[in-house]
Amino acid sequence: MQHREALPYRMRIAAALVCGLCIAAAAHGAGLVGGVRLGVLPQSWRDDNGSPISLSGFTGQRVVLTMAYANCHRICPMTIASLTRLQAALDAKGEHAEFVVVGYDPENDDPAAWRHYRRSHRLDRPSWHFLTGTDADTAQLAWQLHFERWKYDEHVMHDSRVLVFDTHGLLARELGPETGDWSDAL
Amino acid sequence: MIRSIRRNARAICLGALLAAGVPSVIWAAEASPDTATLHKELEQSIKMIDALAARVKELESKLASIPAAALAAPPPVAAAPAPAPADAARLQAVEQQINQIETANASRQGDDTGLPVHGFADVDIGNHNPFHAYEKGASLNNLDLYLTPKLGGKWLSLFELNFEVDFAGNVGVDIERGQLGYQFSDAATVWVGRFHTPYGYVNTALHHGVWLNDSLRRPAFLMFEDQGGVLPAHTVGAWLTGADRGDGGKVLYDVFAGNGQQIIDGLIDMRSGGNDHGKLIYGGRLGYQWTAGPAEGLLVGANAFESRIEDNQIPEDLTEVRVAGAYAVYDTDTWEVLSEAYLFDNVDVYQSEGTHRSNAYFVQAGYRLPSFIPYARYERAHLDQTDQYFAQQMTGFSYYRSAAGFRRDLNPKVAIKFEVANTHYTDRALANPNLFFARLPVTSFNEFLAQLAIRF
Repeated sequence: MQHREALPYRMRIAAALVCGLCIAAAAHGAGLVGGVRLGVLPQSWRDDNGSPISLSGFTGQRVVLTMAYANCHRICPMTIASLTRLQAALDAKGEHAEFVVVGYDPENDDPAAWRHYRRSHRLDRPSWHFLTGTDADTAQLAWQLHFERWKYDEHVMHDSRVLVFDTHGLLARELGPETGDWSDAL
Repeated sequence: MIRSIRRNARAICLGALLAAGVPSVIWAAEASPDTATLHKELEQSIKMIDALAARVKELESKLASIPAAALAAPPPVAAAPAPAPADAARLQAVEQQINQIETANASRQGDDTGLPVHGFADVDIGNHNPFHAYEKGASLNNLDLYLTPKLGGKWLSLFELNFEVDFAGNVGVDIERGQLGYQFSDAATVWVGRFHTPYGYVNTALHHGVWLNDSLRRPAFLMFEDQGGVLPAHTVGAWLTGADRGDGGKVLYDVFAGNGQQIIDGLIDMRSGGNDHGKLIYGGRLGYQWTAGPAEGLLVGANAFESRIEDNQIPEDLTEVRVAGAYAVYDTDTWEVLSEAYLFDNVDVYQSEGTHRSNAYFVQAGYRLPSFIPYARYERAHLDQTDQYFAQQMTGFSYYRSAAGFRRDLNPKVAIKFEVANTHYTDRALANPNLFFARLPVTSFNEFLAQLAIRF
């Protein structure tokens, strides 16, 4: 009897190992969805008040995450505008999500810069978070989440993407320019 | 349930028969010497089948005595035993192992020693080519590769390799920028090598990445040396640059010195191979950028440089080039306004013909709409043709140009731009028969240009 009860545990262990190896192998494959958790991303960030904040702390809530930089006047304004439409769509449905914007350019985007950005762009809802990290953590996050990020002198070259994590902290959806109207995506 | 047991019993019987009986019969038919043994095994098999059949019958009779309701009810399920402490510990260890695998996989970037290659490229189409008035249609403008090998610590490197079409229509390759640097802090980075001379805004903000520029091209007098510009856009030497950040803005500064440029065959040459005429170029730039408050997005600054620049004529001219400039930029989510102005106070050293004054300026305004960016630009250059610094340059003539166009980003990496422009040369369209532009039989022209610009 004991032998028959132990078998499922072995199977679970084996399955978990296989899953882990698959995740490890596929983490930089074609798709990220289902293969990335908030818990394995860099965790040491500061919000626009300068307070420490971790991404795994958002587990339990749906998270809409993107990267941007405050001095961007071409792509980021459109990304932020799309996020505000997404926020309005969620409000209309009576749903909630935490909006996390991680700075591409920590050299310039310190908490004070984000605080000013939040104020000047009227993004004052407490569910919106503007994070600053070290350059290494920022590069690591961008790399793990496949955000394009390279600097051409003072210009940060980047794309426009938004990732949606489910309440378990698992990446559930990627939104990009090809996705169309993001407000219909959730 | 009963049907299942019956099926199993019959299957067992059939299997036993096939496994034991049939081979025995076959072998018997072959009249082997062990026939007696086989007979014995067959008898044992038959006995086993009889025993199994009896057992099945016994089970069937027991099941028949059980009430139907009891059979229909699901069998009682014992509560799942809690995982043994050893199993729970193992499961936890496996979860930890998976996290470690994920984290290790995630941190592979830190081990990445590869060199990412990024860059820009563009293809232009137009009705007029300012360098070859008789050539029209499509032109391959440039392919620009941007490399920043990581050196570790505070050491920096930057290389920009450019493949571009030259005056003769041939593709040339150039190390447009080759810099090695050390970053002491945000406030001070020193570079040595070949860099974009820090004057004005455009020369050190837009570089060679055409995609980066909202407009289709730079003002003509600010183009690079081999594209018609009249300023020394590149310097080979040393450059100290940095920013001092404060509340609401930052002070930007640059100080540089390098090999004095030379005018060779009508083009300014930055003497990348070394300074063979003993002259230096040196200068600086100081600016202030508002990052908050009502003036947020505004950048103003001034710059100056001085050099003794000679040409390769016989006898060669030598000019002390003294340039002062100012610039103002207003860059926000909606507006992009660029302006630069330069005053030249050049001294003819060789012929001692005194001082020559010239000036050049431009203003460009763009408005960022959600789907495209319309812009307009006016540029003008009054260049003294008795100043050998301009007279010996292929494109050192005075002109004014009005241009309007728009940019549309097809995606974050692809932009298409259109520009219409009207240009007037106001002095020497036919001034110097030895120079390339003597072949240009026009003093004014209109342009209709399109450009597909990408980054990668």
